[in-house]
Amino acid sequence: MSTRITTVEQLREYLHVAMQLEHATIPPYLTALYSLRPGTNSDAYHIIRVVAVEEMLHLTLATNMLNAVGGSPDLTAPGFVPSYPAFLPDGETDFQVSLQRFSRQSVQNFLQIERPREAPDEQRRLFHRSAPRAQQLAVAPDEPSMRYYSIGEFYAEIGRGFRYLHQEMGDVLFSGDPARQVTKEYFYSGGGALITVTDLASAEAAIRLISEQGEGYGGRIYGEQRELAHYYRFEQLLLGRYYLAGDQPGQPTGPAFSVDWDSSYPIKQDAHLADYPAGSEFSNAAITFNRGYADFLGLLTEAFTGRPDLLIKAVTVMFRLRDLMTQLVHNPIPGLDGVTAAPTFEMAAVAAVSS
Amino acid sequence: MTAGVMPDALHDPPLNDRPVAGNRADESEDIVIFPQGATQRTDHKKASETVYDVVVVGSGISGSIIANELSRSGKTVLMLEAGPGEDRSLAEYEAFLTRFYAAAAKDNQCPYAPNPNAPMPLSSDAVRIWPGQPDSATYLVRNGPMAWDSTYTRVLGGTTLHWEAKTPRMTPEDFRMRSAFGVGLDWPLTYEEISPFYAQAERELGVSADVETQTFCGITFEPGYVFPMRGIPHSYLDKIVAKGVDGTKVELAGEQYELRVRAFPQARNGIPHPDYNGGKGFVPVGAVSTSQVEEGGRCQGNNNCVPLCPVQAKYNAGKTLAKALQTGCVHFLAQSVASKVIVDPATGRVSGIEVKAYRDPASPRHTTWTMRGHVFVLATNAIENPRLMLASGLASSSGLMGRNLMDHAYLLNWGLLPEVAGTFRGTNCTGGISDLRTGAFRRQQASFAADIHNDGWAWAVGSPYSDLVHMVDQENLFGARLRNALPRRISSQLLLAFMIEVPPDASNRVTVDPAHTDALGNMRPVISYTLPDYTMRGACYARQLAQQLFQRLGAADYTLYDPTDSQYVMYEGQGYVIHGGNHLAGTHIMGASPATSVVDDRQRSWDYENLYLVGGGSMPTIGTSNPTLTLAALCFRSARHIIQQLRTETSLTLTAGAPTGAA
Repeated sequence: MSTRITTVEQLREYLHVAMQLEHATIPPYLTALYSLRPGTNSDAYHIIRVVAVEEMLHLTLATNMLNAVGGSPDLTAPGFVPSYPAFLPDGETDFQVSLQRFSRQSVQNFLQIERPREAPDEQRRLFHRSAPRAQQLAVAPDEPSMRYYSIGEFYAEIGRGFRYLHQEMGDVLFSGDPARQVTKEYFYSGGGALITVTDLASAEAAIRLISEQGEGYGGRIYGEQRELAHYYRFEQLLLGRYYLAGDQPGQPTGPAFSVDWDSSYPIKQDAHLADYPAGSEFSNAAITFNRGYADFLGLLTEAFTGRPDLLIKAVTVMFRLRDLMTQLVHNPIPGLDGVTAAPTFEMAAVAAVSS
Repeated sequence: MTAGVMPDALHDPPLNDRPVAGNRADESEDIVIFPQGATQRTDHKKASETVYDVVVVGSGISGSIIANELSRSGKTVLMLEAGPGEDRSLAEYEAFLTRFYAAAAKDNQCPYAPNPNAPMPLSSDAVRIWPGQPDSATYLVRNGPMAWDSTYTRVLGGTTLHWEAKTPRMTPEDFRMRSAFGVGLDWPLTYEEISPFYAQAERELGVSADVETQTFCGITFEPGYVFPMRGIPHSYLDKIVAKGVDGTKVELAGEQYELRVRAFPQARNGIPHPDYNGGKGFVPVGAVSTSQVEEGGRCQGNNNCVPLCPVQAKYNAGKTLAKALQTGCVHFLAQSVASKVIVDPATGRVSGIEVKAYRDPASPRHTTWTMRGHVFVLATNAIENPRLMLASGLASSSGLMGRNLMDHAYLLNWGLLPEVAGTFRGTNCTGGISDLRTGAFRRQQASFAADIHNDGWAWAVGSPYSDLVHMVDQENLFGARLRNALPRRISSQLLLAFMIEVPPDASNRVTVDPAHTDALGNMRPVISYTLPDYTMRGACYARQLAQQLFQRLGAADYTLYDPTDSQYVMYEGQGYVIHGGNHLAGTHIMGASPATSVVDDRQRSWDYENLYLVGGGSMPTIGTSNPTLTLAALCFRSARHIIQQLRTETSLTLTAGAPTGAA
């Protein structure tokens, strides 16, 4: 069992995990985002929203890489959506990725997810962790007991794998159907353009974009596309001030803004269907959301396997998912002293019901 | 707080010499951020002690384009805005939205606080005008015979905040109406001459359209041209209407026309065209703020483009202004109402603009300053530009200042389709009938373009709110029945809005009268306006066509022109309600000779060689084209000439050894 990518199959495995990893951050970010009370915390809203949108970009970049090497993205595979709370595989046990309301605590959690970490040396890029205690993400695909030191290191190995295999195989490596590539037309935003992956250079550019936008890999707070890294975006919330280009970490000099930490719905943290009385409106709404989300992942899978135009339809579905989420988040669960409901993102339950 | 952070050419002379303009293709890749503190770089005292290369009055689309182009050439610019204007942040924009959401009457100005020091006209201000009894109750003094109900917005970014963002080019024949049809006036420019500037404007505004659907009525494009973004898709409603309209043949003045539903080009973000700019593509500009936001990169179909796009997917001039301010060469002063254009009798040139600056919109207390520059650009709009000139006693040697006021005449027709057509799914308007925009019939009657409104009867009767009130009060519906009935009713609504051309007419005009002043003592615009028979013949035909189309669609015609409406007009025994389109034009028309026009083809005043009057006011005809794209193209063209003039005059001054800048 290798922790080094030496075959195309291994590379595809890694890229599947990359998709899983990128997606796994979206439910917690969206949960915090939609827990904000409408009409309050505009700055916080937009800061979280930008990061969530960029995670969607990263997910799409990972699928482009996978498609480039002839893989087949599947967002409906069992276990693709983790069961929250879930550990990230960066070797630390001090936090889990969790679905919670917008609060100092959740922002701290986001900083932990995005924090820049480079392994001290080559030997320690991977290390062993025994007896996994909970759901884990981004394990070395061939070696379930091994963990990467950080997400950045995980992507570094993917980059290494691309280079190694390209050296071995030449351009045959990129034998995937170019029509499966999601192009800029179908995914763009104010900054951070989508990269179509057709050769080694574009694959490396995609990896660089993910790493820079995420944690500011290499210690820089702004990436090549002049995008502020996610870690520093979230940090702005704690510092109450925006970063400007040229700023040093921890010392933003942009406009100040205020955060109303109390102005979010007190949702049930890491809610599960079991938290809602069976047959209740809450339970039904949570199931409706989960079904909608499962269908949405199915639609994305279709889009990523040759129908990029379906991403336009997906936009409408995302609006609907937002509405279903807010229905839950805005309603207190009886008997819980004001604690409101939240989506559970339990895809296994949906699969069980539909089979 | 950190106002000094941005490079400031005005206090840092070497910046004037840095490489400018740069590679426009690269520049469009930049994230557009509104520079923090950019609206606070100077104050009135400091500004009044500076001689700028250019003083621009107005921060709307015309002023912003000119300021951006000039500052990119290293020219120093002072921009004056009558209304409020802080650094454009998302928080500020969202405050506009909150105000709009909460407003009971959702008119064009509802997102903004009333401001007696720079008042904005409201459509609802218009009342029936009786002969000899002008209405002076609100900001615009309406002299009649028709009540003028068009509006404009006086805040940073101007009327582009509430515009609908349709951007059709004018047809080549629109530029030579007099020669082609014996009606109206000829431009001193041809379609071919303005065409490259149209392309520039389409880039700046971010136009979504497909060349294949826009090549008609003589409109042509450079070989290989594509719009920055692909056309916004047709709404389902468009497709339903197309079933009845496509292939309909009509005969007009002996010629046959075949009608079809055609997309409108729009300045709202869609799917970027990969072939744009020689294959470099296009990066849409989304929401602008002092911090990076990720919003508005694509239209979401929220369907309240008017009065305000919730995500800034629709172009507004703040996007161009942010770029201008990024150069560091632009100073901005808000709450500064230009009150007088000062001419130096010795040189015959404009020497300054007098400005009344106020702190509190609720108080008329103000200070008065004179701002100086080498060139002055009036970029307010076709009502405020001539108002300012006439209030300054500058009627122009042609006597045409303020004359030939134009707007489009809108005739609304509304009906209920026999099926649910998805009405109210946005954007406001995606398609319409444009085949009668030109033709030999224009010798006798006005041309028009018809919009299919995706917001149903909103404009005609105030849907969906009016439907709700009617269902509750008149039909006694409530609960589940009401919830089901309302969407069904409004999603079958069809509104065809005919935008009919209005030719220039010297008696339609803006004047001033010392008897009518605003809170700051500035003379208010006095509007005299009526629709010529030429336009009414077009309206009469449009009404008949609408009835015919409703019949083909099986739509029940609910159109009712209320004789008590302020916009009610009679023509040949029939009554119509005709609204304005907020398409302000004319009033300082361009022409080939100082005897017959106010400005030349560069929009430069014939009378004062360092004064430019820019915007819709310069247009001698408006055809059936929403004027913003054309006036933007004119401003790009003028910016080139202003840069050229500054170069020539500066080198002359240097040769003569005279000191520049008397400050």
